[in-house]
Amino acid sequence: MNIMRQQRLLGIFGVAIAILSITRTFTHNPDLTSAVTVSQALGFAVPIGLAGLAGIWSERAGVVNIGLEGMMILGTFGAGWAGYQWGAWAGLLAGIVMGAFGGLLLAIASVTFGVDQIIAGTAVNLLATGLTKFLAILLFTDVVGGGQAQSPPIKGTLPSFTIEAISSPLIALHAKDIFIVSDVAGVVAGLFFHLSILTVITVALFVFTAWLLWKTRFGLRLRSAGENPWAADSLGVNVNRYKYMAVTFSGLLAGLGGAYLAIAATIYRNGQTAGRGFIGLATMIFGNWRPGGTGAGAIMFGYIDTLRLIDSDNKNVRGLILLGALVLFVIAAAMIRTSRRATGIGFLLLGGVMIGGFMAASNFPPEVAQVAPYITTLLVLATASQNLRPPAADGVPFRKGEGH
Amino acid sequence: MSQNVAAVELKGIWKRFPGVIANSDINLKVEPGTVHAIVGENGAGKSTLMKILYGMQKPDEGTISINGTELSFASPSDAIDAGIGMVHQHFMLADNFTVLENIVLGSEPRKGLSLNFDKARADISAISSENGLEVDPDALVADLGVGDRQRIEILKVLYRGAKILILDEPTAVLVPHEVHELFDTLRDLKKAGNTIIFISHKLDEVLSIADEITVIRRGTTVGSVNPHTQEVSAQDLAVMMVGSELPTPETRGDTIRDEVVLAVENLTVLASGGKPIVDNISFQIRSGEILGIAGVEGNGQAEILDALMGLENSTGTVHFKKEDISNMSTRNRRELGIGFIPEDRHRQALLLTAPLWENRMLGHQTLAPNSNGFLLTPGAAKDDTKRIVEEFDVRTPGIDVLASALSGGNQQKLIVGREMSGEPKLLIAAHPTRGIDVGAQAAIWDHLRHAREAGLAVLLISADLDELIGLSDTIKVLLRGAFVADANPATVTPEQLGTAMTGAGKVSA
Repeated sequence: MNIMRQQRLLGIFGVAIAILSITRTFTHNPDLTSAVTVSQALGFAVPIGLAGLAGIWSERAGVVNIGLEGMMILGTFGAGWAGYQWGAWAGLLAGIVMGAFGGLLLAIASVTFGVDQIIAGTAVNLLATGLTKFLAILLFTDVVGGGQAQSPPIKGTLPSFTIEAISSPLIALHAKDIFIVSDVAGVVAGLFFHLSILTVITVALFVFTAWLLWKTRFGLRLRSAGENPWAADSLGVNVNRYKYMAVTFSGLLAGLGGAYLAIAATIYRNGQTAGRGFIGLATMIFGNWRPGGTGAGAIMFGYIDTLRLIDSDNKNVRGLILLGALVLFVIAAAMIRTSRRATGIGFLLLGGVMIGGFMAASNFPPEVAQVAPYITTLLVLATASQNLRPPAADGVPFRKGEGH
Repeated sequence: MSQNVAAVELKGIWKRFPGVIANSDINLKVEPGTVHAIVGENGAGKSTLMKILYGMQKPDEGTISINGTELSFASPSDAIDAGIGMVHQHFMLADNFTVLENIVLGSEPRKGLSLNFDKARADISAISSENGLEVDPDALVADLGVGDRQRIEILKVLYRGAKILILDEPTAVLVPHEVHELFDTLRDLKKAGNTIIFISHKLDEVLSIADEITVIRRGTTVGSVNPHTQEVSAQDLAVMMVGSELPTPETRGDTIRDEVVLAVENLTVLASGGKPIVDNISFQIRSGEILGIAGVEGNGQAEILDALMGLENSTGTVHFKKEDISNMSTRNRRELGIGFIPEDRHRQALLLTAPLWENRMLGHQTLAPNSNGFLLTPGAAKDDTKRIVEEFDVRTPGIDVLASALSGGNQQKLIVGREMSGEPKLLIAAHPTRGIDVGAQAAIWDHLRHAREAGLAVLLISADLDELIGLSDTIKVLLRGAFVADANPATVTPEQLGTAMTGAGKVSA
């Protein structure tokens, strides 16, 4: 079983590299798999991945967490406020604490008082937005370098590593433009190029969560609160305690994601999260409420965002469209093989249309260039995730002693 | 432990809820190593009593002694520690967990910081082979059937080392051969020295498995009998449960009039594959007539009902009082005066998360007293709900509680009351008394009888052959979507009818 899973993962990775390589060759665009792109994509993926992971914690315990965005906002503010006074590490800590506070707030409202979870989460979002705006005016206006909507610069940054011994030769190899080989070299080099300590911490948190939630007593009980809290209660599991812990830790992770944003920008700004909490939530759903899928989704968002931002002459957009079409073809082929023919053929046609677009135009109007990456992302995610299974009691209020 | 010490002894238990006294002065003594049955009507307080014994609720008064020691339970874990385990009526399983995860939840073995899956698997295999409860520990519960789920529930309890097992209406969800298997398991468990408390209102089953029977009526214990030493029949138990004679579903006198209320011609319903599920059937029901359809479930009964209510595509014609309703919408059919008691009350008849009075409006939302033709009239609907609760003896703290708070039998009474409201001309009823205790059953039969005398036409489907024979004026036997025989309810026996239903024999018309 485990060997089968390893083989499958290797297979997926191989197909992904092949598709990237084909796209790069056809579009003559080395940026697609360069170390810089991969490194930056990882950086963009961190806050989205942390938000998604935060969502997993909360929703696996049965609490829908629409308040992730708000908890991230609290994290950015905490990082800005403590960061300009005592440095980046202190900012990180303050962001975590403020995020956890947001999580605790959601837990109190939804678990103890049984407020509808969507409403409670929305309230956390509104509260966080309003509170941080107010506090920014109060605390930052009169400080040198600060303003009504932003903090003074955060002192220092978090360490990041470049392992020259590995990355330099690989980057050289990437430049040689060899099919597949150069692409693998570029991707691997990206992993050792300007690697932030927070990226490492985030990966560790993903691994830790996967182990804790699926391999330990604590995790089984936490997930039971999201699958059938009445059953858990009847077996003596303190459901509400697990929900509290899960939602608070969820806030902590979201706060960490927010803090990362502020520290990476070396400043806190109002509206800095730009909806990443919601994107993280979507990533979690596409990732089927599991760390592996969520992590992969976050990396994909990060990658596509990176390509969009470092684009020149629409080269990357064209690449993305071809990339999306190829991914669609692979998924369609898998579907037709597993006898879901109608859907598979539909995706096949969609991929054909995208290839047509790729062939027909070398230049796109700026509007298309702006939205194309997002449409590609949506298409790929929507096709890749056909059998989603949320926790059975996700969003269902639980009151001790009551039946269901 | 001496033989005289009771495994469980309850003395003077009282439990009050807002508006209801669930238990009053309950006294119960369960000998170790026996199967002790607790019988009573729906809402008599059996489940509340068991929740108290299992620590899910605290009694207001009274004492609980386990093996001679007086204990008080703050939560189920206290009860589990005392060796008590509960197999719930509605399974308490997480569908997306494996069998193993469901069983060990709450008492997981550990290896270092991780859960010890290998030890759990070995322990479960040992317990399941010892007690003849075969399950695959790594199967996903969502993929398993009812019998397997019940075995998992019992394993859960045994895994925690319980010696006293409470089974809350365990047979309600089982088909007959699964009931046999369960009873074999229970006998094995008893042999192994376990004590079993078995809650039910199915008296025949109770008599076949129990060593001692305690009867609860209106929240209090009214007596105990030992079927091994005392001559006791289902009839006797029913009298103790209800406090009066056991009613029979007999209809007396011929009330059939000339007017044809429902005329069905060449009704055909096709399955998704194009095969007919209901195959070209025709019949008539006259005013004051009850037409019973006998048949093993899945031979097209549900499809006939749905087609008559306009819920299923069908061909053929349906006339209601000379009016062709074949292409009419369900709402129009209901407005003409057709009542409908569906097979599955949770799927088709109730909104579980709506209060009783809103459920009263369902299906009748365009008619008085629920509507004045333009707006809904909740006030009048609430008053009428009170009438139904009164007339049909729905045991509920009030009409504002959610339908999900009622026991299955009381939900059914509410549905029957609703469908009998507004003087329907035709009632289409599937298992009108399924899951209902004998007292309420008699009340519903009475209502049907009176309505029949007043001219109601009824299409009756029931798995309870005594009910079918007792109530019907005419019986038709349905097999693979077609009528294969007629039976005369005055002369046919349930055995003959059962044989005809399987297509094995002919019944005299």
